[in-house]
Amino acid sequence: MVSLEVELVAALRACAANESALDFEAWALRIFRHQFERNLPYRAYCERRGVTPATAVAWTDVPAVPTRAFRNADLACGPAEIVFRTSGTTGGPEARGRHLVPHLDLYRACALPAFERFVLPDGARLPCLFLLPPPSLRPDSSLVHMCAWVGEAFGTGVEWFAGPAGLDVERLSRRLGALEGTGDAVLLAGPTAGFVRLFDAGHAYRLGPGSRLMDTGGQKGLTRPVSRAGFLRACWTHLGIPTYYCVNEYGMTELCSQRYDSMLRDRFDGRSLDPRRLVAPPWLRTRVLDPDTLASVPAGEMGLLCHHDLANAGSVSVVLSEDLGRSVGDDGIEIVGRVPGAVPRGCGLLLADLAPS
Amino acid sequence: MIAGLQREIDAALAARARLRRRSVRETAAALAAASTRWRTDPELSSKLPEAAHLGPEMVRAILPIVASQLDAACLCELHAREASGTPPALVAHVLASNVPGLAVPAIALSCLAGAATVVKSGRADRLSAPAFHRALAAVDPDLAATVVTAYWPGGSTEVEDAILGRADVVVASGADASVAILARRLGARVVAQGARTSIAVAPGDAEHAVVAGLASDVALYEQRGCLSPHAVFVVGDAAGFAERLRTALDDVARALPPPLATTAERAVHRLAVEEARFGGATVLESTGGTVIVGAAGTEVGRRTVFVHPLRAPGELATRFAPATVECVGVAGVVVDADVLRRQGVARLCPIGAMQRPRIDWPRGQRPALGSLFRVPSEPRIQVEA
Repeated sequence: MVSLEVELVAALRACAANESALDFEAWALRIFRHQFERNLPYRAYCERRGVTPATAVAWTDVPAVPTRAFRNADLACGPAEIVFRTSGTTGGPEARGRHLVPHLDLYRACALPAFERFVLPDGARLPCLFLLPPPSLRPDSSLVHMCAWVGEAFGTGVEWFAGPAGLDVERLSRRLGALEGTGDAVLLAGPTAGFVRLFDAGHAYRLGPGSRLMDTGGQKGLTRPVSRAGFLRACWTHLGIPTYYCVNEYGMTELCSQRYDSMLRDRFDGRSLDPRRLVAPPWLRTRVLDPDTLASVPAGEMGLLCHHDLANAGSVSVVLSEDLGRSVGDDGIEIVGRVPGAVPRGCGLLLADLAPS
Repeated sequence: MIAGLQREIDAALAARARLRRRSVRETAAALAAASTRWRTDPELSSKLPEAAHLGPEMVRAILPIVASQLDAACLCELHAREASGTPPALVAHVLASNVPGLAVPAIALSCLAGAATVVKSGRADRLSAPAFHRALAAVDPDLAATVVTAYWPGGSTEVEDAILGRADVVVASGADASVAILARRLGARVVAQGARTSIAVAPGDAEHAVVAGLASDVALYEQRGCLSPHAVFVVGDAAGFAERLRTALDDVARALPPPLATTAERAVHRLAVEEARFGGATVLESTGGTVIVGAAGTEVGRRTVFVHPLRAPGELATRFAPATVECVGVAGVVVDADVLRRQGVARLCPIGAMQRPRIDWPRGQRPALGSLFRVPSEPRIQVEA
């Protein structure tokens, strides 16, 4: 018998290759049934909310779990082939979120076509320079995993520029200097904070035409605040990479799919005047929700972002993020920020040690 | 700005010198009279709601509570008990932004100590300090001349070093990180009043007045202060208590409607609620607030209370980390004040009185007035009947 995941991989591949459309709603409900049957913590949560496969009639009916639930429960529909962990969370390893992925194939099947569609729409094949540690150092990082696949699938070579001591700016600088001399195009990818560290070192290069970068993580890890516009200016002044070749990626450890900056894809499609936004492959939808009612807000209004990722079939497909954003156009979103400790309080100490008896 | 403030401080110090022979009784009476004027200041009731992001009904409820702290007899008793040694010449207060009206006890304590005062208001309440200064000037211009009110954005190091650097004592309240930065720069003169929270303990069958009092404690100040309860430990029927608390929160909301929350505030609340729900907690949501039973508690705001079953009152001190809880509201059970004191609790009071501290409340377990005299002291707890 063919498993749901195998079928889904085939469907995603066919969709990515424009061979057949993806019936999002049908898949969403089918995956919900699958998860309800196999993922016991999720099932218990759905039952408490009064939602079962019998009562869910639309993809928007499927209950979302908050990302924080990934810290406390093993949310998987079967034995995990790999466990991805969030990074940078304070509070020790036990406070880090973990995403149990039973079918790595599914992750690969959704990650690569999306990356190609939004970062390499021209079919370029480039040397890949990752401002990241190699998989051997961070086997539990979903981003590192994805970049490794990108390198294998689309790269003409792969180099990693972070080690146990962090980003090796000097080595990266030397490499960029050498590349500048050849005039060859290159793909740079890594955390936004890594690029800012490179810029702060003060070097400036004119990388070959067609060079591009993919950054992710936004303000996280930055030692100083950097606006998006400021970041894009620095990409031009320090690397010679124009704005439209700078593609921001929005991803979460808890999701297998990612959103990407629309700019390069729009340019390739002749839609350069469209607003800059984060767009997704067809198997990832995002709703902007009113925090009080968890109903969708009117277009353009700010709310909590709730992602429905079919590629998360092996865990939980609907994730209520800690990001605030708004919809842009009919296919995009804009991130406004992270949900802060927003209550204006002077006594904002968490009662971390209070536990139910 | 710095030069102007320096001149004002010079004038305040000179005014202080002129008041050397002033009796404590006279000062206390002036402060009490000023607080009565302050609470009816028309600018406060008209502008404070928007500035502090509170409902007008809430501001109307809070102003008398703040003013009532300045009871002349209580001020005199406090002075007799805690004033010791050489008074400071200049006390600076850096006020937190979360709770309005903090300027009133701050100025009063400095005046009571016989010091000149500079008060730096918090961002969200730049009205209370000037209003109290006005009120004091109306009843006692000489005493008012010892007070300087100011505002500058937090982190303005040049201003802070120049102005706060002159003070003998700097009382800094607010977020731990902000207070720590000041303490690093200004050294031992800083009395740091960082982040703390409050809790309550009650029997499951507590009478209605207790549950209503707790709902009021929760609602007042919109849970922004360190005296605001965010959790209640219930001996007995916790689920039943939670249901009654939800009803009581609704009742309070009719008199004190919550302010409109920002998207970010609503998102913080929603994520906490959904996390609790995912963990199997019972969540009772209504317009008056949220009661959560069976989840580890955080400060969520929006009148959210975590209800924790407690087997026996004696276990209470084991249920929170040391030096995190400022006040414990108690009803219908007996708790060991000394055990709670050792756990860092500064105040023990009846449920329903949590937001009505006396002027001599030993905030952060330090003597309210004695800390301005830098009198060494064992960690204190105030037990209110």
